[in-house]
Amino acid sequence: MKVANPLLPQPATIIDIIQETGDVKTFRVVLDDPDAMAAWRHRPGQTAMVSVFGVGEAMFCLASSPTSRDWIEFSIRRAGKVTTAIHQLEPGAKIGVRGPYGNSFPVEAMRGNDLLVIGGGIGLAPLRPLVNFMIAPENRKDYGNIEIIYGARSYGDLCYKEEVFRTWPETPGVTVWTTIDAPEEGWEGHVGFVPAYVAEIKPAPENKFVAICGPPVMIKFTLKELEKLGFKEEQIYTTLEMRMKCGIGKCGRCNIGAKFVCRDGPVFNLAALKELPPEY
Amino acid sequence: MVLKLLKKERLLSFLERLMQKFLLVAPVREGNLTVYRPVKAAAEVAVDAPKSVVPPKEWFFPQTEEIYRYATSKENLVLEENVLAPPAVLFGVRPCDLRSFQVLDAVFLQEPADRYYAARRENTLLIGMSCNTACPECFCTAYGISPLKGTGADIHLTDIGTAYLVEALTPKGEEIVLQDPEFYEEKVAGIDEALRAKEQALTAEFAVQVAVTDLPAKMAALFNHPYWEELSRRCLGCGICTYVCPTCHCFDITDENRGNTGKRLRCWDACLFRDYTLHTSGHNPRHALHQRLRNRFFHKLKYNLDRYGIEGCVGCGRCVALCPVNIDIREVIATVRGLQV
Ligand SMILES: Cc1cc2nc3c(=O)[nH]c(=O)nc-3n(C[C@H](O)[C@H](O)[C@H](O)COP(=O)(O)OP(=O)(O)OC[C@H]3O[C@@H](n4cnc5c(N)ncnc54)[C@H](O)[C@@H]3O)c2cc1C
Ligand code: SF4
Ligand code: SF4
Ligand code: FES
Repeated sequence: MKVANPLLPQPATIIDIIQETGDVKTFRVVLDDPDAMAAWRHRPGQTAMVSVFGVGEAMFCLASSPTSRDWIEFSIRRAGKVTTAIHQLEPGAKIGVRGPYGNSFPVEAMRGNDLLVIGGGIGLAPLRPLVNFMIAPENRKDYGNIEIIYGARSYGDLCYKEEVFRTWPETPGVTVWTTIDAPEEGWEGHVGFVPAYVAEIKPAPENKFVAICGPPVMIKFTLKELEKLGFKEEQIYTTLEMRMKCGIGKCGRCNIGAKFVCRDGPVFNLAALKELPPEY
Repeated sequence: MVLKLLKKERLLSFLERLMQKFLLVAPVREGNLTVYRPVKAAAEVAVDAPKSVVPPKEWFFPQTEEIYRYATSKENLVLEENVLAPPAVLFGVRPCDLRSFQVLDAVFLQEPADRYYAARRENTLLIGMSCNTACPECFCTAYGISPLKGTGADIHLTDIGTAYLVEALTPKGEEIVLQDPEFYEEKVAGIDEALRAKEQALTAEFAVQVAVTDLPAKMAALFNHPYWEELSRRCLGCGICTYVCPTCHCFDITDENRGNTGKRLRCWDACLFRDYTLHTSGHNPRHALHQRLRNRFFHKLKYNLDRYGIEGCVGCGRCVALCPVNIDIREVIATVRGLQV
């Protein structure tokens, strides 16, 4: 019998690449072993390690819907060594994938409630599977209304345009608000930062969960607005990033206090996060 | 449990017998250091050598280890796993280092188990060796470890003068001892008393008596105390304390590439290094040395206990003996316990 080796990636192939923004591409990936692909399951918020052999490994959110059975997707911003190498790959290229890792958004506890999603830039990546999970036909009846507030620096910096401007707004019970930081020719939508837009929209806190991800300043100021609107920390979830190597709680790198972000996160409830040392 | 006596002059034959079936990994002298490594002849084994500088965890978790090879081409990707776990005996492990394996087990054997560590751990018979002297830096008893007990070993030896007391503590260990009855004498009377006296004498030798009562709660309350900043002023961030620590388990994963083929390696890493938590964006959650040093002590004395129910320090004193600026974990423990919350 073959004993599982959690550090050994699964060979995989990039089948499609979507240019999301200037420095973000979404990679659609298929595991080479059809049985492994068929057995792949992830929950919204989980992550996976992607290998470019000869360069290294890096951790990314699983950006595809948990209900997608034929492929998985990663939205990757070009940042350093591994991410630059991935950006140079073309469809057909071989990579390695291991995962899924980490906890997820509490979709069971969220059942029967409304959801407010707040994203900034590529921060929509971990939230996208949550939305797509909830609007999947088999799950839609389990969840209430979904409000999505999404902002980026410019129109060109908004990811997943097809879903943000078409699929989601056309789904019953889903409302999408988009905003960009500064006016731009051809943009007729809202202009301004996400926190101010949240204050303007005034989402109601009752029977609602909040999932927020984006640049730290955006999160910080948005949380202040949410507090003014009456949201409690217990209702709010976010995902954290730390430098990671193993993804499975062995290499020690991603600890915040006694928690390992790779195992006990990346999704954290804000009230629980307050209990940890501020080392993230 | 099987109890026997092994005359000292028979130790060599005992080891040679083991070498017929197992790779023998044992303390040897290299220059004036003791290290654990596979030996070719039983005579190489430094039975009475002082405690090793690099702990025997190296056998289960090597400093650098090839975890797999890869070969890539446009159409193809081949990964070849490299798990090396020959049947082995790790001989002469001190009680503190025996405890360190329990600490490492909690990390590496927790699901999903680390395949490399688990395979070697599974295929290695552990033979412990009681301490004969207490080093000035030792404080194992603070964690309830006895320098004369082989908890965690399959077989444990204690020097009682002209012979070793041989305790076979697991079925695997019993099998080894029972297969060669001609090696041993039956246990003689009065040994328990002799052991107790020896234990008392040894622990009285400890230069500093350390108590860890209430330490985790105390630490939690002192996270923001200026003490950590003060302590870190003399720390060099060299990471020696983590390199010699038998319970440190941090590692890095890197590629060694040649054209289209290469090896993926894992190497020891240290939370004292600045790059350890550095994000690609430049943000560093523990950018200051005092945060990193504090994290090390919190990990050893609190986080590990919170997470796995076992302290992350075994009182071996290696970090005490080898820190170039004399940062002493015993002193840290005493200071923290004495600070006002
Ligand atoms: C849970 C989680 C989810 C994430 N999700 C996403 C996502 O969905 N999309 C996304 O784009 N990103 C995501 N990230 C971030 C992503 O993992 C990083 O951008 C990525 O690891 C950068 O890797 P890199 O190799 O490109 O950069 P690196 O080359 O690792 O980083 C560059 C810098 O790191 C330092 N460095 C690199 N290697 C070493 C070394 N061996 N020793 C010392 N210093 C070194 C150097 O200073 C270098 O300048 C996520 C991260 C986490 C933890
Ligand atoms: S922290 Fe120091 S005394 Fe404790 S186990 Fe590690 S090296 Fe030994
Ligand atoms: S050995 Fe001493 S100086 Fe070096 S990192 Fe550890 S505490 Fe600091
Ligand atoms: S990434 Fe290794 S412990 Fe979290």
